[in-house]
Amino acid sequence: MTGVRSLENRHAKEALLAGSDEQGGQPEGDEALLEECRRGSVAAFERLYELHGARMKSIARNLLGQESDAEDAVQEAFLKVYRGAASFRGSAALSTWIYRILVNTCYDILRRRRRRSEDALDTTPGAEAAALPARAADHRLRLAIEQGVARLRPRHRDVFLLSAVEGFSHREISEVLDIPEGTSRTLLFEAKRRLQSFLGDAAADTVEGRA
Amino acid sequence: MKGPCDRAAEAFRRDDPPAIDRLRVHAASCLECAPRLALWDAITSEAPSLRKEWESPALFPRIAAALEAERVRAPETRRAAPETVRSKRFSWVPVAAAAALFVLATIGLQVFRNSGGREPLVNAAGTSNPLLTDRSLDEVESAEANYVRSIDRLSALARPRIENPTTALFVSYREKLLLLDSAISEIRTQIDGNRFNSHLRRELLAMYQEKQRTLQQLMKEAQS
Repeated sequence: MTGVRSLENRHAKEALLAGSDEQGGQPEGDEALLEECRRGSVAAFERLYELHGARMKSIARNLLGQESDAEDAVQEAFLKVYRGAASFRGSAALSTWIYRILVNTCYDILRRRRRRSEDALDTTPGAEAAALPARAADHRLRLAIEQGVARLRPRHRDVFLLSAVEGFSHREISEVLDIPEGTSRTLLFEAKRRLQSFLGDAAADTVEGRA
Repeated sequence: MKGPCDRAAEAFRRDDPPAIDRLRVHAASCLECAPRLALWDAITSEAPSLRKEWESPALFPRIAAALEAERVRAPETRRAAPETVRSKRFSWVPVAAAAALFVLATIGLQVFRNSGGREPLVNAAGTSNPLLTDRSLDEVESAEANYVRSIDRLSALARPRIENPTTALFVSYREKLLLLDSAISEIRTQIDGNRFNSHLRRELLAMYQEKQRTLQQLMKEAQS
């Protein structure tokens, strides 16, 4: 277990680069890893965590707004991967399947949260994200973008987070969200266009300030 | 008089490097496009900073423990079930079996009489087995793939209208299609975990049928 965290970022980058070049189906290593996961090998899950854990946490944190919820979502997603590995056929890459499970787990958590109505006035992830951590406040543009993202519609926000923030290709996003690639492109374009108008003067000032 | 310059929007929509490069050249001499491009670049370059990173050394040990618990629980549940229900089960199994046999015989006789003995007694298509077999699953998945491909072709035809809605009606069609895509995505994830469940397959089919209907309505509206 030692060193898991230290390897997270490097492996996440490796996975990202490998994923960008895949043309569907299972890369060689993934097939063996999947087989090990089917057998319930903790080492295989540890490898999966090394490869995707950091990115999974980031996606979940941006969707759910809280680190503790994000960690719960990642844990739940891993359990679902374990339960579903036996019946996973591999029509999508293992990695995109995992991210799809994660995103849907986040949706489930959001639904449960809404049902519980614990945050009656503050239920959307956007609203939570708007209550930004203090460390973000030192960067005006990032703050403005983060607030803008919080106001996006869920589908626009999801595509923006996966593409612009996490670096997924449109093909990968189409598999994770099960939408056509063209729709992913359109949603990203609209998300950025809406962000431009949300940001308005604040971002323009920052850009001018940089120039 | 020249209208507003829309080259920036066009390049952003395409979202490919050559288009953005051409826009960059154009923006050098266009007062409208230059600030748009600057803001676009700022969003694009700043977005990765929204990535969240924090130390969570306890997370994987927690996951490993949960996986281990799940691994232990699954066989235990399977093992425990027969012991806990054995006594009760054996008391009602013969009675239930006899009752089931009687009901089946009665229904069978009735069906046979109504059909005059000429029609098949059971319509294979009408059976509602909730679980699919391997072979039927392959057939279902193959048919599903063809159906999805044809809907994708329809989507491609409707794309200009969806991407550039000119009226509120088209905007609402687009929203509905996004919702349907989202629902389809969820059901597909459930199916990934339970491929043999025919109820989920039926739900998925219903969603695709609704998507097809919506696309057809949209195309019809576009032509009228």
